[in-house]
Formats: sequence, structure tokens, C-alpha cells
Amino acid sequence: MRLTPDQFLNYFEWLFDPKGLLQGFFLVLILAILGFLVGFVIAMLKHGPGEGFLQVAKIIRELFVVDIPKTSFRRVAAIAKLAIKEAIRKKVLVVVAVFVVAIMFAGWYLDPKADNPARLYISFVLSATNYMVLLLGLFLSCFSLPSDIKSKIIYTIVTKPVRPTEIFFGRVLGFTAVGTIIIVLLAAMSYLFVVRGLDHTHEAKEISGDGTSGVSTLQRFHSHTFTLNENGEGSTNETKGHRHLVTKDGDKIVFSKPVDDLTARVPIYGTMRFTGRDGEDGTGFNVGYMSEYQRYIEGDTLSSAIWSFKGVSPASFPTELNYDMTISAFRTYKGDIVTPVGGVVIFRSSDGLVESERIPFKVKEFLIDQRSISTKLKGFRKGQPTELDFFQDIAPDGKFDLVIRCQDRGQYLGMAAGDVYLRAKTLPFWWNFVKGYISIWLQMVIVICFGVMFSTFLSGPVAIIATISFLVLGFFGSFIDQIVAGKIEGGGPIEALIRIPMQSGSGVQLDIGNPVLENVIHVADQGLLMGVQTLKSAIPDFTQLGTADFVAYGVNLFDGLLARHLTICFGYFLMTSIISYFFLKTREMAA
Amino acid sequence: MSTSTASASPSGTSTDPTNVIVETRNLGKIYRDFWGRKKVNALKALDIEVRKGEIFGLLGPNGSGKSTTIKLMLGLLFPTSGRAFVFGKDATDVSKNERIGYLPEESYLYKFLNAEETLDFYGRLFDMPADVRRERTEQLIQMVGLQRARRRQLKEYSKGMTRRIGLAQALINEPDFLVLDEPTTGLDPIGTREMKDLILRLRDQGKTILLCSHQLADVQDVCDRVAILHQGELKELGRVDSLLKVQDVTEIHVKGLDDKTKQEIKDVISRSNGELLQMDNPTTTMEQLFLDIVRESDQRPGRRGGGA
Repeated sequence: MRLTPDQFLNYFEWLFDPKGLLQGFFLVLILAILGFLVGFVIAMLKHGPGEGFLQVAKIIRELFVVDIPKTSFRRVAAIAKLAIKEAIRKKVLVVVAVFVVAIMFAGWYLDPKADNPARLYISFVLSATNYMVLLLGLFLSCFSLPSDIKSKIIYTIVTKPVRPTEIFFGRVLGFTAVGTIIIVLLAAMSYLFVVRGLDHTHEAKEISGDGTSGVSTLQRFHSHTFTLNENGEGSTNETKGHRHLVTKDGDKIVFSKPVDDLTARVPIYGTMRFTGRDGEDGTGFNVGYMSEYQRYIEGDTLSSAIWSFKGVSPASFPTELNYDMTISAFRTYKGDIVTPVGGVVIFRSSDGLVESERIPFKVKEFLIDQRSISTKLKGFRKGQPTELDFFQDIAPDGKFDLVIRCQDRGQYLGMAAGDVYLRAKTLPFWWNFVKGYISIWLQMVIVICFGVMFSTFLSGPVAIIATISFLVLGFFGSFIDQIVAGKIEGGGPIEALIRIPMQSGSGVQLDIGNPVLENVIHVADQGLLMGVQTLKSAIPDFTQLGTADFVAYGVNLFDGLLARHLTICFGYFLMTSIISYFFLKTREMAA
Repeated sequence: MSTSTASASPSGTSTDPTNVIVETRNLGKIYRDFWGRKKVNALKALDIEVRKGEIFGLLGPNGSGKSTTIKLMLGLLFPTSGRAFVFGKDATDVSKNERIGYLPEESYLYKFLNAEETLDFYGRLFDMPADVRRERTEQLIQMVGLQRARRRQLKEYSKGMTRRIGLAQALINEPDFLVLDEPTTGLDPIGTREMKDLILRLRDQGKTILLCSHQLADVQDVCDRVAILHQGELKELGRVDSLLKVQDVTEIHVKGLDDKTKQEIKDVISRSNGELLQMDNPTTTMEQLFLDIVRESDQRPGRRGGGA
């Protein structure tokens, strides 16, 4: 799971981010000017410049003075109710049946030997629901209005006092209601599938002589070791992303259902910086991986990664400070391949005068290393060893630094801002699961808005293609960014098209034997890519809107992020409703 | 035929502008293809008025511009030239629809709804409260005779039943102005008669009706005034009775004359230099014959009616 820096912003920081506000302002301005110009050109061709201008001005005036104020909720509800009836009577609920069949046979292709079955199961149900619901939204929204126009039923609608705003709002509301019913059903089934699919227990297979430890039986391709205290209570080790609580009941050792696999940890993230080999501020090393997500620190030097936390209080961590790490390693020599690369963690006051002892760790690659320290710990004040109280000595004002260094000479540890966080508490899994489905719901609403918008001026199949194009651009937005930035080899669309018949590899310079033509192709490609880039900025980034990883990795989906997605969704709703209004207002329904 | 843009004043109506429900001024429509090239000049400079309380017929062969005219009046199309006004408002003004009822050429309705749901849906589009919708739905279902089929989805309806529910939806808002496009299409003779009676009844209630039909007999039966279009142009406009009146022919209907008297009448005509065109027993219409038989059959079930 990877978090991008902008995801750490809270809702208001994000909403009032000057760069974002400026971008949004320009986007609205460009769309408004573009919309006006396109409308004016069309009206001018029909009526001449003077009358054309008046026509466009009249439509804009009517939107704000007549159509929005006179929009009736009863009419919107009537159209929405009709959309629901239409969907249900045309048997759209068959989607639920398809999903039931899909999860009935899911066990066949979900790898039971996976390192973390919970993550696999959750990812599967969320992805399946996501794609299914987006497809549903796509088909519902793109075909309804064109079908009414084709069958001329629209004649009996628009000859009633129905306003364009009501047609758009009603349809969006109706399809959203249908989608909501389906999402709720799918979510309930998915929850049962995940919870029941992961449910298992073990029995004790081997018990030590004193009865305080042992090994469990093999179940679902794994077993656990366990330990018990003098009261006969204990726990297993963590395997496949879960533990079991173990209790001694007479002579029998009883294992609980899995714990810690379905959870929602509430993280407190800090801001991150690096120091170089000499201990001065740095940027971390790039070890040559394609991904720039993580930067690396060098072993056995002063190179370190420092997270600064604030607002940490004893209320959240009364006796222990819990923190999670997802660190990766990069080896410059093979060495002892069995032993993981080692590092240390140091907790340090923000003024640097007080710090804890070095807490050694071995890297658990690709896993979340859940760790904790007592709030009463040993450390140093101005270099002198002493006993410390975490909240009195290290973080008296709630601020402190967490420092990670690599210990092994010649080896590197890689990390990014989201890889280390404090685990303040855990929330119920079901609530995080619901939030994951709310994210899917928001994506569906955006697809419906776009689908209805395209269907106001395109036929059903063309509206589908247009909406799918937006979806694809939305899902591969970052890829487009990389093409435009020249990070993907092979050039733009024209160059790529030429390379295919020439069987020219993308890694070599295009050579068609005519430098002038090559330049022309390059310039034309840049123009096309700029166009795509502009278009992309008006398209929802579905990779950012997807939150399945939060649920699958057991990280609480922070409410601020959900609020941001809700705001984005509302923004697209407004944009598509305005565009739809103009198309419905200017379209001849009987043409 | 003379081309006239002046409208005759029907009895009982006046040319007072406040009484004009629909007015078209130089209304024209050119259909163009995707590239903006002219395809058809469907309507050319139409000037007509439909006045309050009259039944106005729009006649013409296929492609004459009748449907285009109606669509322009309803705002379903935008004019290429001129303007259309309904209740003094531009035809594209949505608020005019509050007082309009429209029965399209075919009943374009949602087939997955039943009669009650259909009327409830259209009632909601007029922002009618639930109790008013219920009451109005009940009245209209009774009026169009769909009591037994009220819960059946429209996809199970016959063409005649679909026309009836189409008419009911057009009347849901108790409109002041009704636009009926081919209202008798698909109806049997009884249904046709009922439809015509209903149209006359609605006129008597003070409603204005614009009717477009190929059934010339129906138009003649109910319309006060007609406009005849051909190739997008207005060819005739006036009162039905005055347009159909043959000025130099006299028609006398007399009952109970013997042969001698009939001969005397012929002699009088001859002496007056008149030309006797026809003197015969009149025939009834097929519609009337059919209705009489059905009525008799309803009164005396099982008996075969007497015939020639």
C-alpha cells in the first residue's frame, strides 16, 4: 500500500491548498469560456452573430433565473422513481445474481497459500464490486435517455413542464438509488464471504513439557507456535496475517477465531525528511529502481530517515507506544542471505536533547512490522544514560522525532513517508469495510454523472464509448502524465503508431530516414499529448478515488480522505449537470 | 384553391388577441443534415392562429408539414425562421406546458408501467400533490374505460387501449389547450365515436383543441376551422362549414313525399331553369350503421339484426 504525499493533507488543507484552488479556478474558467465559445459558434452558425450571442446569453440567464429556482423536487423524484422502476423491471438486479455466482466459485481461484489471505479476500471482493458497479452505472446511465429519445417517449416528457435540470437530476438520482441498492446487497454478501471465508481455528499438536508453549495443527496451509502465561492465557505467533488467542481449559488448549486479520488501524502520520551520510539534510538515495516511491538510507553511516510527529498524547498511548513499519531492503552484496538487513529505531525529542536507546530491528520485507515500546524506557539526556518517561521527557508537547538508521555496512533500507506511522487505536473492521464501499459508491456516482451527461447529446452506444474513454483516462491518468512528461519511451500516439508497422522497439530513437518528418511527428505528438493532458485534468482520477488498499491492508480510511472524495464527486456532479443543461436546453428532441 | 393567411372568424369566437391561444408568425423549418446542408424545407412561412374555445384541424397529406407545425408549437423543434407563440409565450418556454395536454401520433409511453403508474408519473410532472393525482387518475381511468386493465403493464395493451391511456395522460392536468395528433388512429368505430364525442365535450367545456388527422370524416365531424397544408405551405384556412359549402347547389331534405309531389318538384325546378343533379333517398354512413347495430345488439343480446 502506497500513500502519496497529498493524501496526508487534512480536508481543509487540501480544500484550500493554493495550488489546487488555482488549478480548479483555471479549470472552471477554461470550461466556462470553452462552453460559451462552442455554444456561441453553434448559435452564430444558426442565427448569425448578434442573435447567436443573445441566444447563448438567454440560456445562461434562464439557468440561473428560471430553471434552477423553479426546479421541482417532486418532478425530480418522479423521474428518479421512474428510473428505479425501469431498472428493476428490466431485471438489473441480475447483477447481484452474477456476483453471487462469482463469489461462490471465488475459492477456486483465490490462492489459499497466500501470505495474507485476508488481504487477498478483501481485495477480491472490493475489486469485483468496484468493476461490476462501475459497469452497471455505465450501462444504466448511457442508454436510458437515448432510448427515450429514440422511442419518442421523450415527447411526452418535455411537453410537460419539465426542466432540463430536472431531467438530469432525476436520472442521476434514480440510477444512483439503483446502484446504492445493489452496492448494499453486494457489500453484505462480500462481508459474509470475507468473514466466513477466513474463519478457522486450530488445535494443539505439540505441547512443551511445562505446558506453556507448543505448535498448532496445520489448517489452511499454515500452523502457529503459541505461548501461554501462568494463568493459562496466551497467543499464537502471527502467520498469514493473523494470530489466535489461546487459553487453557483444563487439559485442553483452545484456540480462538483469527484476530488482527480484519482490522482498521488508525494511523498517525508524521512528516518525513532524510539525512545524508554526513548527517546533514539530504534526500535519500535512489537505488535505481523504476519506482520513485521509496528513497533509501545507507547502512553504517549517519544517513537516516526522520519522521516528525505532533499532537501525540498519553490518551492515545497510555502504557505503550504502538508503531508500524513497512521497510524494504536493498543489498549491494549478497552476504548472509538468510539474515534480514538490520536497522535501529530511535525516539528523540524535537529539540534533540533527549533520546531513547537504539531499538534494533530486522527488516520484514513486504509485511507490516507491528511494533511497540513501553512509555517507560531507557535513554539519554544530553548524552547521559537515564530512565525516561516518553510523554514527560521525549514528547512533553506531543511532538517528537522517530529516527531510523540502517546498521549493516553496504546495505540500504528503503522507505517513504507513509511507511512508518503510530497506531493510535484500532476501529472495527466492518466500519472500514463500509467506508471502502462508500468510496466505490462515489466512483459510481461520478460514472453515472458522466454517462447521463454524454447521453444528453450522444446515442447510447456512442455515450458508452465516450464514458468508457473517460474511465480509461481516469484509471490510467498517471500513465498519461508519464507519457506527457516523456518518462515513457516510445513517443506519443503518432510515433507509436508508426513504430508498430516498422516493428521498431520503443527504446531506440525513431528513424524513418527523414529528420524533418521526424520533427513534425514529434511536434504533432506534443500537441496531441498536451490536449490529452488538458482533458485529463477535467477527468476524475479513479486510482486516487479507489481506497480498496486501505481496507485490505487494515488501515483506517481517514474521514478527511473520504470527505475529499465526496467533494470531488460533488464537483463532477456540478460540472456534468451544467454541461447536460446546455445540451438538453439546446437540443431539438424531435430532430 | 386560394392561399389565405387571413383567418375567418368562427361564430362564438373573436379576433381579440387575448383569445388567441396559438399564433405562428412566418414560421418556417428547414431540416438539415449533419453537415448543415439543406435536406427538406418542411414548413414555409406559416401564419395561423388558433383561438380560444375552438377545435382547429390541421390537414394535409404525408410530408405536408402538419407534424412539424405541431412539434414547433410544442417546442420539440426550433424554428429556422419566424416564431410560434402559445398562450402568448414563446413555444420554447417550458412554463407554457403547464396548460397544455399533448397526445402524440402514437402513444409514446413507458411500456413497463401500468395505467395507474403512468398517470401518477405524468401527474407528478405537473407537480400535483398525491391526493389530487389519485383523484384525477381515478377519474381519467373511468373516463377512458380502462378500469379492468388499470394494473396491467402497457406492453400488454392493444393499440386502442394504448390510445386511451395516451389520451388520459394528455388530460391529467386538465389542460386549457389540447394537441391531438391522429387521435382516432387505432380505435374501433365505437372508440372513434367516443373520442369525437369527448373532443366535442371538451370544446364545450371551454378547452381549445388542435387536431391533426388523416381521417377527413373525423375532421369534418368535429372541427370548427381547418388549415390545409401541402408541401409545407398553407393552402387553405377557414371555417369547415363555409369551406365545404357548395354555393350554387341547393340541398333539401324532405320526409314523407309521394311520387306525384316529387314529380311536381322536378317540374318546378325545370320551369325555373334549374338543373336537377340528384333526387334520391339518402344513405346513412357506415359508421352510423355500425353503431346502430352494436347498440341494438347491446340492448337485445343474442338476436341477429335485420338486414337486406
